Amino acid sequence: MQVDGQTNKSPAAPLTVASARRRGSLRSPHRRALRLGLLFVSPWIAGFLLFFAYPFFATIYYGFTDFNGVGAAHWIGFTNYVNLFHDPLFKTSLFNTFYYTAIELPLSTVAALGLALLLNMNVRGRAIYRTIFYIPSIVPLVASCMIFVWLFNPAFGIVNDLLIDAHLPSPDWFFSVAWSKPSFILLGLWGLGQPMVIYLAGLQGVPRDMYEVAALDGASAWKRFRYITLPMISPVILFNVILQLVLCISYFTQAQVIESADPGGPGTSTWFYVQYLYEQAFLFLKLGYSSAMAFFLFVISAVIMVVLFRSSARWVYYANEQQ
Amino acid sequence: MKDQERHESYTPGRTSRRHSRFLGWNRRLAVALAAVTVVGTVSLGAAGGGTAGAASSTTSSSVVNLTWWTMWSGTTLQLLNTMVTQFNKTHPGIHVTETNIPSSATTSTAKLLSTIAAGDPPDIFTEWWPEIGSFAADGDIVNMNQYLTGQYAGFEKWEYPVAVQAASYKGGLYAVPMSLNSWALYYNIPLLAEFGIKSPPKTLAQFDADQAKMWTFSGSRIVTMGFYPDTDGNGFQFYTTFFGATNCFNKAGKYDFESCPGAKAEMNWIASFDKYPYAQVMAEQTALGYVAGGQTDIFTNGKSGFELSGPWVGAQNVPVSNPDLEDHFGVEAFPGIVPKPSTLGQGNFNIIPKGSAHPAQAFEFISWLAGYHNESFVGSIDPTGGWVPAGPSVTKAPAYQAWLKANSWLSGFLPQMTSPYTQAPLLTPTQAQLFTAENTATANVLQKIMTPAQALKYIDQQANASS
Repeated sequence: MQVDGQTNKSPAAPLTVASARRRGSLRSPHRRALRLGLLFVSPWIAGFLLFFAYPFFATIYYGFTDFNGVGAAHWIGFTNYVNLFHDPLFKTSLFNTFYYTAIELPLSTVAALGLALLLNMNVRGRAIYRTIFYIPSIVPLVASCMIFVWLFNPAFGIVNDLLIDAHLPSPDWFFSVAWSKPSFILLGLWGLGQPMVIYLAGLQGVPRDMYEVAALDGASAWKRFRYITLPMISPVILFNVILQLVLCISYFTQAQVIESADPGGPGTSTWFYVQYLYEQAFLFLKLGYSSAMAFFLFVISAVIMVVLFRSSARWVYYANEQQ
Repeated sequence: MKDQERHESYTPGRTSRRHSRFLGWNRRLAVALAAVTVVGTVSLGAAGGGTAGAASSTTSSSVVNLTWWTMWSGTTLQLLNTMVTQFNKTHPGIHVTETNIPSSATTSTAKLLSTIAAGDPPDIFTEWWPEIGSFAADGDIVNMNQYLTGQYAGFEKWEYPVAVQAASYKGGLYAVPMSLNSWALYYNIPLLAEFGIKSPPKTLAQFDADQAKMWTFSGSRIVTMGFYPDTDGNGFQFYTTFFGATNCFNKAGKYDFESCPGAKAEMNWIASFDKYPYAQVMAEQTALGYVAGGQTDIFTNGKSGFELSGPWVGAQNVPVSNPDLEDHFGVEAFPGIVPKPSTLGQGNFNIIPKGSAHPAQAFEFISWLAGYHNESFVGSIDPTGGWVPAGPSVTKAPAYQAWLKANSWLSGFLPQMTSPYTQAPLLTPTQAQLFTAENTATANVLQKIMTPAQALKYIDQQANASS
């Protein structure tokens, strides 16, 4: 403790748990409380060590080995990582994943926020609209995929029937190299209910009087949105962006279900990173290679998260935060 | 204020008796909870172990229990259950329990490997995905040569040669098919007549010309089509025997399709279909694959003049999905550039995972399933499944003969099983990569994403990738 440039080493300084632990003299009630606390959280600690920490470190280790999942793992150093950069499908899957993320993330953020703003307005039947927009997000993912496959089927689908009737071009959707990724983005937008509800909760937490004061001062609707709504819900935006980012980077189920007959197809237009990783691990039994892929994805995700959190200091406003 | 005082009074070393009692009670509760958790977890583990034990091989009162994992459902699963019941009835010393697991290649492989690693695998596993080579190379499955003695000494000669070729790795027999796939050319007789085609084609050139006449559209949508080489996921690999391109290796033993004349001819032939709308064909195929339990496709639906497929289409799919087509289709050997008949040797193979508690009894069961010394029973089951048996003697069984006589179209499937041109891809550790690459390459050529030369190079690159 620094007091006017001097170190306070008074023996009368209060005993804290940390200082007591440092001195190895934690008194028995604290020790008992600590033991008790650890005992209560021990199921979580065990679960964390078994199902998170061990797999994480095991993945790092296996990334440096040639391992098929059953036999012994042979140490091969950085070979898997070197091979990654000579694997054209690795690059393709990385590109596809980031293409999807780059389009889907901003689009879904804007769309979910826009919907939440609309559903936050005081209109008749508001609860019904909210339910309607939320329902798709509680439909099981596989069922959603199957519905989309039928709706957007170029040969039998109702979407193309309507487009043809309207004399509009009818794309081949999931069956076309050009349209397959946009089709998956459309599918992603269909399940906006979850972030929309979170935005809605955030919007309802913005104090009404702020809008009233701003309106009295003559602020337009856009200015009220720009200078009140956006800053006030910026923590919610950050939360949703992180959630959506994780979902985009680990995109798997939808692609696996929809392209089950031609994984990654048409062509290699829908090879997503995790899907390719899964194929390497469980179809080709290259668990060492897939572990390297998994760790590489972890590093990329970690870098993105760090950048996102660092940047959040500039655009996220916490109303209760002391300046 | 009182709270504050109470808080301040709680300082280390000054624990009140009440608080001490509370702590003691809390500790007892925590210990009790922890004990319950531990006991519960152990009990659950034991119960799980018990379940696994019941599912895995155990020996009790001189009966050997075997577990068989298969990936079928529906009518095929019913057939398997019939076979298991018959085996259990006729083999009092062995009891087989069939377990159905999800049919995805990745899921089933992961589950199998997990059980092998855990030391508790099923005794028998049915494998239709080409991972037998990888399993054999890694020592994950049992080499069955050790059982080919005594009454089984003639087993390999009893099988069709292609059944042995498809299951052998470095001189060892690692799998036994319970049924084989035989691929031939189906044709829709009324649809061919509609386009003025009076008889099925005898040469590849004639086939190409005939099928080209049959494509008609309404706007961008297909009304009728002749043939497309990638329907039903049947890509490059399924046509290799017709072009002499099944096993293309260089002197170093690496895959070398790029400089294989048959492979070049085949990929060029596939590329000749790139003028047809890939997306529309796949859309039709995918949509139809989701209905009727997956028992229909463009041909069965009556829209396609030709299709390369196996006997199950005529035996199972057409009667269920489009009975109007019964008695209106025929089957011929596919016309390729090598003499016909020929077909790709594949099938539904049974393997014995490493760690099986009773591999000898497992081999007894899978050879019985194949029909070895059991021709009469398997000969009555195979027609129901639309299957070609593992050995020719099964086809001589009365029930099988009756099926052949009642369905003249079947005559196209059996002769090619003994043809010298029929081949199976040689087992290698990277066969799964090969087949996946062949399918991807086929789709890319049909969509003009790759040239035939690029596609063959891609296949070699992927199939020769090691680590």
